[in-house]
Amino acid sequence: MGKGLFEVLFEYWPIFLKGLWGTLKYAFIAVTLGSILGALVAIVHLSKKKAVSSLAAVYVNVLRGTPLLVQMYISYYFIPMAIPALNSIDKIYYVMLALTLNSSAYVAEIIRSGIGSVDRGQAEAARSLGLSGGQTMTRIILPQAVKNILPALGNEYIAMIKETSLAGTFMLYELMYTRTILANKYLVWQPQLIIAGIYLAVTLLLSAGVKKMEKRLSVSD
Amino acid sequence: MTEIGIPLIETVGLTKKFGELDVLKGISERIYKGEVVSVIGPSGGGKSTFLRCLNLLETPTSGKVLFEGAELSEKSTDLDAYRRKIGMVFQQFNVFPHLKVIDNITLAPVLTGKMSREEANAQALELLEKVGLGDKAEEYPRKLSGGQKQRLAIVRALAMQPDVMLFDEPTSALDPEMVKGVLEVIQKLAESGMTCVIVTHEMGFARKVSGRVLFIDGGVIAESGTPEEIFDHPKNPRTQEFLAQVL
Repeated sequence: MGKGLFEVLFEYWPIFLKGLWGTLKYAFIAVTLGSILGALVAIVHLSKKKAVSSLAAVYVNVLRGTPLLVQMYISYYFIPMAIPALNSIDKIYYVMLALTLNSSAYVAEIIRSGIGSVDRGQAEAARSLGLSGGQTMTRIILPQAVKNILPALGNEYIAMIKETSLAGTFMLYELMYTRTILANKYLVWQPQLIIAGIYLAVTLLLSAGVKKMEKRLSVSD
Repeated sequence: MTEIGIPLIETVGLTKKFGELDVLKGISERIYKGEVVSVIGPSGGGKSTFLRCLNLLETPTSGKVLFEGAELSEKSTDLDAYRRKIGMVFQQFNVFPHLKVIDNITLAPVLTGKMSREEANAQALELLEKVGLGDKAEEYPRKLSGGQKQRLAIVRALAMQPDVMLFDEPTSALDPEMVKGVLEVIQKLAESGMTCVIVTHEMGFARKVSGRVLFIDGGVIAESGTPEEIFDHPKNPRTQEFLAQVL
């Protein structure tokens, strides 16, 4: 059995902390960049032109319909292979690219359904007053859609915290990667349980935060 | 009724299909300035669709909608500019829940550059006072009853100082005790000379306020005339049948 759980935790806590920091950081970057990209995809998806809109639908379907790990492999190995000029770029960016693109597809759907959740009568009332399509979107639809979008983005961040565990496969220093480090010190079962505990604590804490935000945002209904 | 000059709103051969369903089968009608026109008829007969075509919330499948002679369905038309002249009140109120009562009213006049914030505020308070909501300016709509929400929706449309008001079953979603207050507001408006087109199930109200009644059934205007002609001496058997059921 070797060392106990707490023994390992006390001895190697800086490693776990650094891993946790990496996890939170990579998830945050992926969701933030993914949100910007996802918003653009959502706008394209909402286009009235079918050809344009279906472009976004294909993007979303491909990224949501294939495993993130597969996307990471493609990004990590095939992009540098296909475009040799990109070989000099740190491989960490390829992993981040996959995470970001993956997140953008989910965010695009979050934004689209957030906008779709606003009653159609709201847009009709705004347009009947003579507001333009853009004014209607920014003044009437989005302020109401935000109530649904923000909590869902929080949940996407929580999901992404778990998804980044795959990045350890590509030597990104995040929580799951600490397992690899400590395995070199012949520690196997303790780090795994500690990592699971940290993931659980973080996601529960953030879920509680999201619930609180949901409650606060729903006040004006 | 002076029916000379250009009609305020005119439809020519208006049709509307939803998929395979023919909702409007060719409606040609003229509404002149100062007229109060009620639109009655059975559910699904096309009366709401007709009304929603007048400001192009529904795009007609064929035919024309003219506002003071300008064709709204023309691509080059600045539709938003015309919609500012056409106020609309919905069955479900559609007040903006995220804005205070006063901001519901001032949003459009300020945003479209029709008036300054100060002017819009002053006008909004005056209008709220008129409909008995003077003390609600700083509330959010969730604090209002259905009847109060509908009065707010009317005021919101009036704030754009429109040339005509369209009412789409304005009391159908209200509790019975709220109906009277809303109808009173519409009646006052009609009596003040505002051009009104009112889709309604309130036959007593239609008889009282309108100068003309359209009976729409099966996607066409089956009969039109003064309230006396329609309610007391309907000629079309379908009108007779409908009135027998609702009166």
